[in-house]
Amino acid sequence: MHLAQGWMWFAAIALVFWGITGVTQKLATNKISSELSFIWFADAMIAISVILALFVPIQWHVRPLILWAAIAGGTLNGLGALTSFAALESGGKASVVISLISLYPLVTVGFAVTVLHERLTLAQGVGVGLALAAAILLSLEPQPPKSKA
Amino acid sequence: MPDTATTSRATMPSILGMPRWLAFSLLTILVWGAWGAVSKVASEGVDANTNQILFTFGLLPLIAIVWRSPRISAGGSGRRVGIAWAFLTGILGGTGNIAFFRALVMGGKASVVSPVTALFPLVTVILAVTLLHERVGTAQKIGLALALVAIYLLSM
Repeated sequence: MHLAQGWMWFAAIALVFWGITGVTQKLATNKISSELSFIWFADAMIAISVILALFVPIQWHVRPLILWAAIAGGTLNGLGALTSFAALESGGKASVVISLISLYPLVTVGFAVTVLHERLTLAQGVGVGLALAAAILLSLEPQPPKSKA
Repeated sequence: MPDTATTSRATMPSILGMPRWLAFSLLTILVWGAWGAVSKVASEGVDANTNQILFTFGLLPLIAIVWRSPRISAGGSGRRVGIAWAFLTGILGGTGNIAFFRALVMGGKASVVSPVTALFPLVTVILAVTLLHERVGTAQKIGLALALVAIYLLSM
């Protein structure tokens, strides 16, 4: 990885901001349902988009494929946000749930290999194997003691 | 003391023999993984800000569905606090999205940017342990280490 590359700094910003959301998600679902958490999460997204539309130049002419890919991206990401809220609300620890769901690039890599016909390097192949092992280990969290009725 | 919203879902039956949190986590991996692939396509023809606006349009059908849930009216005395945390999650998540899209538009490959940004548990774990006082077991510590190594290798 080359930190000097410009895109890497933006990737680092995303990393930090998304990392903080792992905790704020848990704090939200400690108090309210995952559904209500999602509604307000989405409201914040709408607020950001309104601000962008008002104050930032927007690219209005977009090819249909790109348009629908971007919209589908929102739906997929939103669905993931909803299920991650539900995972946290269901009793998963923030440190475990967030670490586990961060393995989602496995699917992206799988898509790239099978549909886009990209090839995995040896390091990436090892990474896939380690990620699967990690997912199994993370799933071995002992159940919390059940309270007696 | 756990509140009503948390307890009601936490005590629901398992899904396919898995704890509910694990089933929901695996589903998250699936849809976010697909999102990473779709973002690669979208970022080839639209700037980061416009991408975030279109992304938000994609949320609208989900909002319409979730809005019908009776559970959005649940919540006790901490409802306002929970809403504030959820809203902050959206602000941070949306800002992170823009940075992610910007990284793609600037030439970062999706197959590299996605795994790199997926290192975000580093931040979450540090905050969860220090702020939420969560404890991580031995198997999970090994899993965390393997996950981080895996994410690093996937970014190479």
